[in-house]
Amino acid sequence: MNRIRALALIAALFSGLLQAAELKVAILVQDTAQLSMQGDLLPSGTPGADLVAVTDELAREICRRINARCAYSYVRLADILPGVEDGRFDLGFGNFLRSPEREKRVAYSDPLFRSSSRLIGKPATARIFATRLGQPVSLASLRDARVAALDGSQQQAFLDGIAGERALTVLATATTAEALNVLRRDGADFALLPIRTGYALISRDKAQHFAFVGPAVTTHGLGDTAHIVLAKQQAALRRAVNKAIREIKADGTFQRIMHRHFPVFLD
Amino acid sequence: MAAGDKQHRPSAGKAFAILASVFALLFGAVVALLAFDQYRVLAAAERLQHEAVPEIIRFQRLARNLDQLNHEGERLFSSPSAADRQQALFLVMLVASHPSILEYPQAAVMARDAENYLVETNQLAARDPSTLAARYPEWLRLSQRMRLLVDDISIHGANLASADLDNMASTMRTARLKLLGALALVGGFIALLIALLRKHLIRPLQRIDHALSSLDVEQPAPQFPDARLAEIHAVEEAAGRLHKAMVSNEAARRELELLANRDGLTGLINRRHFMAGAEAEIRRAQRYGRPIAVALGDLDSFKRLNDTHGHGAGDVVLRTFAGLLADSVRQSDLVCRYGGEEFAFLFPESSVEQAHIQLERFRQRFAEHDIRLPDGLLVRITLSIGLADASHCPLEIALQRADYALYEAKRLGRNRVIVAAEAN
Repeated sequence: MNRIRALALIAALFSGLLQAAELKVAILVQDTAQLSMQGDLLPSGTPGADLVAVTDELAREICRRINARCAYSYVRLADILPGVEDGRFDLGFGNFLRSPEREKRVAYSDPLFRSSSRLIGKPATARIFATRLGQPVSLASLRDARVAALDGSQQQAFLDGIAGERALTVLATATTAEALNVLRRDGADFALLPIRTGYALISRDKAQHFAFVGPAVTTHGLGDTAHIVLAKQQAALRRAVNKAIREIKADGTFQRIMHRHFPVFLD
Repeated sequence: MAAGDKQHRPSAGKAFAILASVFALLFGAVVALLAFDQYRVLAAAERLQHEAVPEIIRFQRLARNLDQLNHEGERLFSSPSAADRQQALFLVMLVASHPSILEYPQAAVMARDAENYLVETNQLAARDPSTLAARYPEWLRLSQRMRLLVDDISIHGANLASADLDNMASTMRTARLKLLGALALVGGFIALLIALLRKHLIRPLQRIDHALSSLDVEQPAPQFPDARLAEIHAVEEAAGRLHKAMVSNEAARRELELLANRDGLTGLINRRHFMAGAEAEIRRAQRYGRPIAVALGDLDSFKRLNDTHGHGAGDVVLRTFAGLLADSVRQSDLVCRYGGEEFAFLFPESSVEQAHIQLERFRQRFAEHDIRLPDGLLVRITLSIGLADASHCPLEIALQRADYALYEAKRLGRNRVIVAAEAN
């Protein structure tokens, strides 16, 4: 009986702390112009603004659901995981794919949606490489190429892993928009990006220089479920966040947020 | 109780323990069957929750994504501008890249075919928009194949739950029958228990209660039908033994009463018993105005007989006197050995005259009776009697008058009956 009372007391304390504490939330930006922005002053027209808006809305909705006051920071992907790890951030919104290496460092929320990765490039470059390779370009066949990827992403980790074997030059960029800029400047032949990010960027590219190249991939940690990351010791916060995710999916809030910024709903 | 009876009759505790064990086994078996059904339902529900429902959601998602892909393909053909067609194509590629499609081989192949066809169509349309119309029929075929696949996937998703739901419903129906069976079993067992309790415990106890309540030495020993339970049989036998003991005690009591009220030598009632009986008779006679008389008699020269022939001879004379007296007085008359050779008489419903006649007749009979003494000598003894009316005075007064009359009879020469005057 005393044990139950103690647990109830601890739960109440945790609940109170959760409500009282200000959570530091990191939100992934897609372009350097979006760094350190305040509130809803998202620079419109910047590459990947829709993606940032979706992530931002999702983070705010979850903060509301868990009754937490949140302070939002708009940061690069490479800053989120270390920030969560060392306590600078309580929640990291960056659509993180799972990997054994990441799981050692941080905890994961329940899934938000599912994702895959796909190469992006100029159609002309793709044709040149297809001729050179003697087959259509795909992640499986790609060799002797310069490939851009977001710094700290699973895509970068994968490319680093096969770079030597395939004679690939991996170009780590701070943002996804920068990866596209590198492509645009012919600084890289292809970019390997999450499919949703890739779509958001190339569909808004007015010059329409880019297209998806080869099939999408979900193997080698490049696909499947995307999550919020938290510090490993934040078990109570993780439970609260998971409950909020279940709620926003059950009452349609999650779907409405997605629909506001994307023409199709893919969860 | 005989050893054989013990072997043939089960004890109540053992009988009910066997009954309870049988019930527990049967009920336990039904509960186990129900628990097994519950386990099956829970297992099916768990499968439904953790396997079927996520699979259904997965298939729904896949069907929806294929539908979206189909829709965006249609948009590509219907869009008037190249920019709109490109946007539609980007969406086709986005949807075709979703893991839900990639992990389902048939859908992945179809999505890739559709994407490749639409990419090629878009490239051709960029150069010559009229090619859209030429390539549309082929797209319709692709689209039709995709719709069929969507239908198949939707139906497959729905069917996933059906098996588990059918299984759950079937198990629940079986469980309901088993539950009804269990209820019937419990009801039947309770009815059987009540019937057995009534037949073998309550009814026998009621019979025993009735028999014990009406147990009487004047009635025959209680008889019981053959009891099945050893304990009941033992109580019934104890009731029989109790009746036997009561009869025996009553006989002993009567014997003791007789011994307490009789004179040991003559067998006549003793003075104490006579006085109690006479008091009651006189009160009754005086209450109802009935005649009643008392008398005192004394054997003449009895002391001399004793002195001459010994006490043994005296005893013989006294016993002979009592024997003759028994034949000579009515059953309702009381006669006692008043002391020594003196006797008291009470004659209910008799006037002094009637009692006088009776006493006179007896006196003559006794006086003429030969008494053989222990030494073989034949003797005759006479009797003097004083008679008094007791219908108007207490017993003590009547006896006192009779005693005076006896004294008078002795004084006048013995062997006679003298009636006391009304007042002395």
